[in-house]
Amino acid sequence: MVESKNFFGVRHLSATTSYNLLQFLEAKKPKCILMEGPSDATDLLLELANKNVIPPVALMAYTTELPIQSVLYPFALYSPEYQATLWAKKNKSNFRLIDLPTEVSLALKTQSDAELAEQQEALVNYRLFHNDLYDQLATLNWETDYESYWERKFEHCLDSQSYQERICYQSQQIRDMVIDTEREADPVSFAHNYLREAYMKRQIEQALLEGFAAEDIVVIVGAYHVSGLLDQNLTALTEKECEQLPKQNALATLMPYSYYRLSSRTGYGAGNKAPYYFELMWQHLVNNNVSDLAANYLSRIGKELREKGFNASTASTIEAVKLAQALSHLKGGQYPVLKDLHDAALTCFGEGQWSKIAEAINHIDIGTNIGSLPKGMSKTPIQKDFYEQINTLKLDEYVSAVDQVLTLDLRENIRVKSQEIAFRDLNRSTFLHQLTVLEIPFAIEKNTYQQNATWSEQWNLRWTTEAEIAIIENSLLGETIAIATAFKLKEQLDHTSKIGMVANIIRQAYNCNLTHLFETAIIRLQAILVETEEITDLAQATFELAKLVQFGDLRQFDLLPLKPILRQLFLRASLLLVDSCNCDQKAADEVTRAIDQLNFVAQEFYEDVDINLWIEQLHKVATRDDLNYGLSGLCLSILLERNLLTEVQCTQEVNRRLSHGVPADLAAAWFEGIARRNKYALLSRVMLWEQLNDYVANLDEQQYMHALVFLRRTFSGFDQAQKNSIVELLSSIWGTDIEVTSEELLSELSEEQTQTLDDLNDFDFDF
Amino acid sequence: MSKKDVLRLPAEQLYKHELDALKKEDKKEDKPAGWQLSPKAVLKYIIGGTAEGVEITPKYIGHDRLVEIAIATLLTDRSLLLIGEPGTAKSWLSENLTAAICGDSNKVIQGTAGTSEEQVKYAWNYAMLLANGPTEQALIKSPVYRAMETGSVARFEEISRCASEVQDALISIMSEKNIAIPELGSEVNAQRGFSIIATANTRDKGVNDMSSALKRRFNIIVLPSPADLETEVAIVQKRVKEIAANYQLKATLPNQEEVEKIVTIFRELRQGATLDNKQKLKAPSGVISTAEAISLLTNSMALAGSFGSGQIAEADLAAGLQGAIVKDEDKDKIVWTEYLENVMKKRGSQWRDLYNNCHEINK
Repeated sequence: MVESKNFFGVRHLSATTSYNLLQFLEAKKPKCILMEGPSDATDLLLELANKNVIPPVALMAYTTELPIQSVLYPFALYSPEYQATLWAKKNKSNFRLIDLPTEVSLALKTQSDAELAEQQEALVNYRLFHNDLYDQLATLNWETDYESYWERKFEHCLDSQSYQERICYQSQQIRDMVIDTEREADPVSFAHNYLREAYMKRQIEQALLEGFAAEDIVVIVGAYHVSGLLDQNLTALTEKECEQLPKQNALATLMPYSYYRLSSRTGYGAGNKAPYYFELMWQHLVNNNVSDLAANYLSRIGKELREKGFNASTASTIEAVKLAQALSHLKGGQYPVLKDLHDAALTCFGEGQWSKIAEAINHIDIGTNIGSLPKGMSKTPIQKDFYEQINTLKLDEYVSAVDQVLTLDLRENIRVKSQEIAFRDLNRSTFLHQLTVLEIPFAIEKNTYQQNATWSEQWNLRWTTEAEIAIIENSLLGETIAIATAFKLKEQLDHTSKIGMVANIIRQAYNCNLTHLFETAIIRLQAILVETEEITDLAQATFELAKLVQFGDLRQFDLLPLKPILRQLFLRASLLLVDSCNCDQKAADEVTRAIDQLNFVAQEFYEDVDINLWIEQLHKVATRDDLNYGLSGLCLSILLERNLLTEVQCTQEVNRRLSHGVPADLAAAWFEGIARRNKYALLSRVMLWEQLNDYVANLDEQQYMHALVFLRRTFSGFDQAQKNSIVELLSSIWGTDIEVTSEELLSELSEEQTQTLDDLNDFDFDF
Repeated sequence: MSKKDVLRLPAEQLYKHELDALKKEDKKEDKPAGWQLSPKAVLKYIIGGTAEGVEITPKYIGHDRLVEIAIATLLTDRSLLLIGEPGTAKSWLSENLTAAICGDSNKVIQGTAGTSEEQVKYAWNYAMLLANGPTEQALIKSPVYRAMETGSVARFEEISRCASEVQDALISIMSEKNIAIPELGSEVNAQRGFSIIATANTRDKGVNDMSSALKRRFNIIVLPSPADLETEVAIVQKRVKEIAANYQLKATLPNQEEVEKIVTIFRELRQGATLDNKQKLKAPSGVISTAEAISLLTNSMALAGSFGSGQIAEADLAAGLQGAIVKDEDKDKIVWTEYLENVMKKRGSQWRDLYNNCHEINK
């Protein structure tokens, strides 16, 4: 049996653990190193010792069938796992991982996810209880949080043996306190842990059977498992039991990783809030000058702040270091912990305000390191597919760190022979759209503002390791880019209840050439459609689909199935119009946009949608007095534009709206609505200006002030030429000389007038 | 002057038994130069605990870490600047820190618009100056001067109320740690342990900005309003009890529920939203601090003790609330009316009495 002195308990992603582990290994010089980690990934992990590997990197395992499960083990430069492989390679020691293989642990995860759903409450209580133990430990030691406690008590302990004694003692105590409760409240995790330990024990015995002497073996596991593995009552799994374990087909791969991702993950072994800070600590550990860590860290913060233009002198840095040390002495610590450093920076650099230093702190804590692997070391089917497509689409030259622009012409190139080359740009576009859906940061589409640019696209391409990481992560969704994209869109489709979102997905599916999704999407759209009460959402969806149908043949496929749904959308939106126009000024802006969008569809698809209903509804809104005045005006202007009102009807309506029974501000709001759209339609109607003139002339002082605010806003939307036309119109109405009128009307405001207008802006209107 | 007659005792006398107990417990610990207690004992004095069987009452509740930073700052010979909104216990904390560290919180400059540079450095007894010329005896030492001589902590209250020239007089004192007296051809050098704790207000009107040269010489701590309802209730109850005992108010102490109501109203108006964050409110123009809640309750106790039944009635609270919240007649009245109608009225029967009384007064 391997004795307890050959066990080493670790904390993942801890610099001091690695430092002490290396000392431990140097002292023991083991011939065989057994380490916690999926046993089928031993070979992969050993590849990390390749000198071209630059951490952070991660080991990812995932199932190849639904439901997809995955696990990720990230490693930084200072991870015990990474340092142990380096040591094993250098000293030609046998190295192997001894935990459950990924195919088993993933299958167990699938099962437990199903079982966990049932007993939520007891589980939550247990986890709270467990976390509370750590908090209590911190409180008892006068620390504000467990991380500070850990760093002061463990990270600063540089003696391998006492470090080991401390960590194993604490873990055992915690384990003893929680294990009975865990069995009750969280039997799934309890059983999972038990199984893992029994399996690890079997692997240890296996190594002994192979002929390694017990004293030549070193077992490195999470500190929590040390006492479990040393427990006499634990029996190793038998071969037969191993065969009975559930299995699910799984693949594992290495991948580059980044400190940013590392910092955004939480949980034991999976993340680290300040990965770069601990790398700094690791460097100081290796160079035997941990006492300088505080000065190094705070100088970096000071430098970062200076670069951002803040005042952070060397004198302040010195004061910050002194303060951090004083804080640490107050706790009886040897060196400051990260919390002390943060507080020192806050007090000495930030004048007590966190907002001043937060960015610098984040930058230094997390760092920008991105790992890299030698080409070909990371292999997933989706990566293979990606590079094949890059090859066939001749995008190779864009896979570089330089920002490059790619302009695509989606039309068929009729001057070339083969079909493939004729549509190459189209295929490229499809591919890049797929990457966009998968959130792979390789290509970003630039917005083009040309009017006829539906066949032209511009992309910004730049290759980063982040993109590679994202591709590998997407291997969970499917083996090829296209399959993963379809899967992701389908998922989004199933989880959305917003009609605009569904329309957006249809558009994306179209861009990604995934027409087989259309049928599902249309059914979904239809289902949501009947429930939707918001005209804005409906109009947005109608507009999106209409644009799609309009330019559909560009991508070489048939969009006819979309027409019936377009018709249905338009119908429902039309029916909701009158009710939606009963709203306040704030909501009116959105409804205005919806009306514009629907009118666009009505114009472009007059054969497909129910145009008569639309016009009927517009009439209703235009003539009713109980709706939003601005919107009534807007609808009237659409009818004017389409020439659907007779001169008489128009005069009547304008007279009615601009009569003295109507409050001045409402009348002005109505006029604002009518002037919102086509201004030439207004300018060509002299009669309208006569009426407006009469109306304004007859307002009393108070009413005039009210109307002025709205009228000013309305006319600010007219350009100079239009304003000149107005001047002409008015001078003919007033019978005055054009030049005199123009000079009078278009001159700058006097100071007094400006003041009066400013006062009006503060006026509170009741609606 | 007997102890009983003093309106307000300095902290080192008010909590003398606590300090004595701490000193006794602390005998064997190392103490920094000029300190009468070890840093840990100072911390305990401020945040509470027990020493030698004596209960140490907490003086500053809810932000222990800030107290640690303050003590650590003083350990490094740096000066400390406490800033925050009115009523966040800046002066209270500074007084208690000095009381614990050097047993004397009376070396204090109270900053006003009229504070002159002489009051920061030194002045002369002019009769003696005219009679004998500049001599040691004719010198009137400022609190900062005395703190430098004895290696103790001086306090500078409301530093931002002083004119900029006066504030700037501190700059050289803090960097050189000495005051030159050219008239005598000598200078006073600070003894180890000398430090300054200054306080400044961020929100009041009529304050002067501090120069960045001066700010750089301070370690700055921002004291926040109490983090949650429970903390604030605890603070209010503790202070009300102490003040009531001090002023010998004859009314019974307000009960938990009354304190909670007052603190709830204050917190909601201060943060401009109801405690559950469901409803947005308009904040009144004035500052409504924890200190005001405390004085509101003690006032109500005085009212109830002198003119009422001895029990705080809802009417007393309502009168106090009206005074505390409606400081600007026009705007605040609207704020308070909206709060009463939109929030308090809908809170159910427990709040009904208070609502009716407030409503009555606010008419």
